Amino acid sequence: MEQKNDTMTVESTPPTGIQVVIREFRKDKLALISFIGMNLLIISILIAAMLMDQEEILKIQLLERYTEPGVNGYILGADEAGRDMLGQLIIGAKNSILIAIAITLIANTIGVVLGIIMGYYGGFIDNLFMRIIDFLMTLPTLMIIIVLVTIIPKYGVAELILILSAFQWIGTARLVRSKALSEGRRDYVSASKTMGTSDFAIMFKGILPNLSSLLIVELTLNFAGNVGIETGLSFLGFGLPPSTPSLGTLVSYATNPIVLSSKWWVWLPASILILILMLGINYVGQALRRAADAKQRMG
Amino acid sequence: MKKNWLILSVIFAVMLVLAACNNADKDSAKTDDGNKDKPAQTEDNKVDTNTLPMDVTNEGDAIKGGTLKVGLVTDTPFKGVFSWELYDDAYDSEIMAYATNVLFELDGDFQIKDTGIAKLDVDANNKKAKVTIQGDVKWSDGKPLTADDLIYPYEIIGHPDYEGVRYDDDFKNIVGAEEYHDGKAKTISGIKKIDEKSIEITFKKVSPAIYSIGDGLWAYAAPKHQLESIPVKDLISSDAVRKNPVTLGAFKYDKIVNGESVQFVANEHYFKGKPKLDKVVVEVVPSTSIGEAMKTGKYDIATSFPTNQYDGVKDLSNVSLLGRPELAYSYVGFKLGKYDKVSSKNIFDEKSKMNDVNLRQAIGYAMDIESVTEKFYQGLRVRANSLIPPVFASYYDDTLEGYHYDPEKAKELLDKAGYKDKDGDGIREDKDGKKFTIRLAAMSGSDTDEAIAEYYRQNWKDVGLNVELTTGRLIEFNSFYDKVQADDPEIDMFMAAWGTGTNPSPIGLYSEGAEFNMSRFVSSELTTMLEDIDSDKALEDMNSDKPKEEKYRSKAFRTWQEYMSEQATTIPMYFRTEIIPVNKRVKNYDAAHENGSIENLHTVELVADQPLK
Repeated sequence: MEQKNDTMTVESTPPTGIQVVIREFRKDKLALISFIGMNLLIISILIAAMLMDQEEILKIQLLERYTEPGVNGYILGADEAGRDMLGQLIIGAKNSILIAIAITLIANTIGVVLGIIMGYYGGFIDNLFMRIIDFLMTLPTLMIIIVLVTIIPKYGVAELILILSAFQWIGTARLVRSKALSEGRRDYVSASKTMGTSDFAIMFKGILPNLSSLLIVELTLNFAGNVGIETGLSFLGFGLPPSTPSLGTLVSYATNPIVLSSKWWVWLPASILILILMLGINYVGQALRRAADAKQRMG
Repeated sequence: MKKNWLILSVIFAVMLVLAACNNADKDSAKTDDGNKDKPAQTEDNKVDTNTLPMDVTNEGDAIKGGTLKVGLVTDTPFKGVFSWELYDDAYDSEIMAYATNVLFELDGDFQIKDTGIAKLDVDANNKKAKVTIQGDVKWSDGKPLTADDLIYPYEIIGHPDYEGVRYDDDFKNIVGAEEYHDGKAKTISGIKKIDEKSIEITFKKVSPAIYSIGDGLWAYAAPKHQLESIPVKDLISSDAVRKNPVTLGAFKYDKIVNGESVQFVANEHYFKGKPKLDKVVVEVVPSTSIGEAMKTGKYDIATSFPTNQYDGVKDLSNVSLLGRPELAYSYVGFKLGKYDKVSSKNIFDEKSKMNDVNLRQAIGYAMDIESVTEKFYQGLRVRANSLIPPVFASYYDDTLEGYHYDPEKAKELLDKAGYKDKDGDGIREDKDGKKFTIRLAAMSGSDTDEAIAEYYRQNWKDVGLNVELTTGRLIEFNSFYDKVQADDPEIDMFMAAWGTGTNPSPIGLYSEGAEFNMSRFVSSELTTMLEDIDSDKALEDMNSDKPKEEKYRSKAFRTWQEYMSEQATTIPMYFRTEIIPVNKRVKNYDAAHENGSIENLHTVELVADQPLK
């Protein structure tokens, strides 16, 4: 009986938004575990980082140079300057995650707004912005970021976020524009227009919600990418300033062959954390992507 | 798929456990025999550089001939300009050391002595110097070395088409050099050939520096018979420089793979006798893999070994480590003025932010240099007390106290100078009670530099000084010196280093006219002292029989060192030790600057066919 009832409801009203996502996650255990794990991990990192005294952890204690894990109360050992690796790992992860969130939000807001405007108005505006985007896409982004980072006189977390955001919106804008272009030709948009609704309301109250599934996927995957970009830059030495730890700076200790071969506690935890973060976010993102596309759904 | 993951994670876990075991084993071994075998190392890995030997002798019967394998540590290919007149890459000079054209040999104070190919006689009154070839010396192609070969390098460097860096103020000190360079004269009028074996050079002025190959004197011969036919502007790309240079050294060039390796064979015409080795192969090794390469016995000797990889070679059983003091010092400098390009003079600004001797001294006392040298550099650097490295034994002032770590004294000095914490935040304000922040420019290099800079900032904070990094991060080598030299207003103080070369005279680094005087500090006392060091009086008793400490120049050096220490415009930080790993199959190797193996390559022998593993 019950089973029959279920199929009945499915047939009568197609599942919408959140229901599809929940069903997709139910089907994909890996994504579910990743989702719960990621949330727990990120929240606990943020809370732990709040409770920590950053200055105390970053204080250099020469006597504790390269203390091994488990010795003198250092759970994950200490680096070359005697700084606690566990504390640095948590603060570094917090910095990396917050920076990635900030970049994702800023870049996606710009991208979405521009994308919808281009898609909705089409014609000259679309053409103009698309050519600008085409131009920006041909530039070697990473190189330009590195140059900008080295030439600006005052450099800190805020500047890094702005520089990175300045190049991240392009992809989002293109994606949203293509979707908004087809959405803008739909009947409900024409109906709104004839009723005299303002362009602004149509764009952000009408079209935007219809792009939400796409946006959620884009946000998640972008977030993973931005964690990668920030850690990559810091690894190369162009990311955060030296006094601010990040996952990338922790991994970059491994460029010294001696640290790489005999001081694994300095770089391995950070590397594993990056791996887990990336895999987790990507599993979640892929489940969301499938949920957004009826053809790929598993559930 | 699942299975693969399982296997992978198992392997991973096993690897971790193994790595952990490995460390534990090593550590226990260290404490066990630490006191017996390695007196140089205390528990916390500190090296006492005094006991890191200069030379090594390994037991065993020497094999006949053999090939010495040298690892040249660099991350970029060498340029391959094998001419002393034209090269500008330090790695080329390290390669050329095996086939050098050098005429003179230097003693412990880096002054010319009489044992080299040529002998120097200075006639200070007439401002003349005579260079004489001693005995019959032949080039590696069998042609005799003549006076023309001694003159030819001057004609290359002075030539209108010469583009290298050696046509400088020193070179213009030779009478007639400028006229020749401008094309007004066919020859350099100040250089005369006396006979087939000797030349005479006339200078505009002669200072004590001439004994350390200064004042324009050139220390190398050039094979005129080989180079004559090549126009000077084409020399740098010619085969005579790139592929088959003729040399006076212990070895001659055999095969050159540009940027990668050079193979030398013994030079039967070497003036000290034919080398015992058959061949020397010099190969480029990236700095990250040299430790591993020494361990697996790929090389016998490594040159310019990176100090921060000391950990990787210190416990190897097949390698002996030699230590040699570097001709360099690191320092903290303070910006006290500007360099005026128009008048080519340093202009000292009394009102500059850092112009308070108490403040500068306090900054020096607040730095825990001792701990940094001990922990980060493992004793391969030691706290410097003077601006002359101790290798220059007769000029170095060993009685100078310098700036040792004394935070209490630093606080006292700051209080005295009027830098007091008025708003109670633990950071001192300036004399007028305004916020006081010092901007420090520091160089990036090895991966420990950042931690060191942070440690010093912490030290300064402990005495209440707020020090921030210029640009917020460490600055890359080239742009660092660009900024410091251009008197960037964002820099109040900077951490840098000088290589002194073999001529310790400080006039090029601290005088009023020196662009390299980067603190821009000038005073009339200082100018007098600097002139004193290179004065005629100093030259007069250079070669007298007085004990070295009694000589005029030694005294002048000491006065200057004491004055600089008091003024604290440039605070010396470290003296450095270079480490040279040598495989135990090398029978005898001496790293000393004076009369070391590099000067006596013909005596180096091996005791095995291949480097030991």
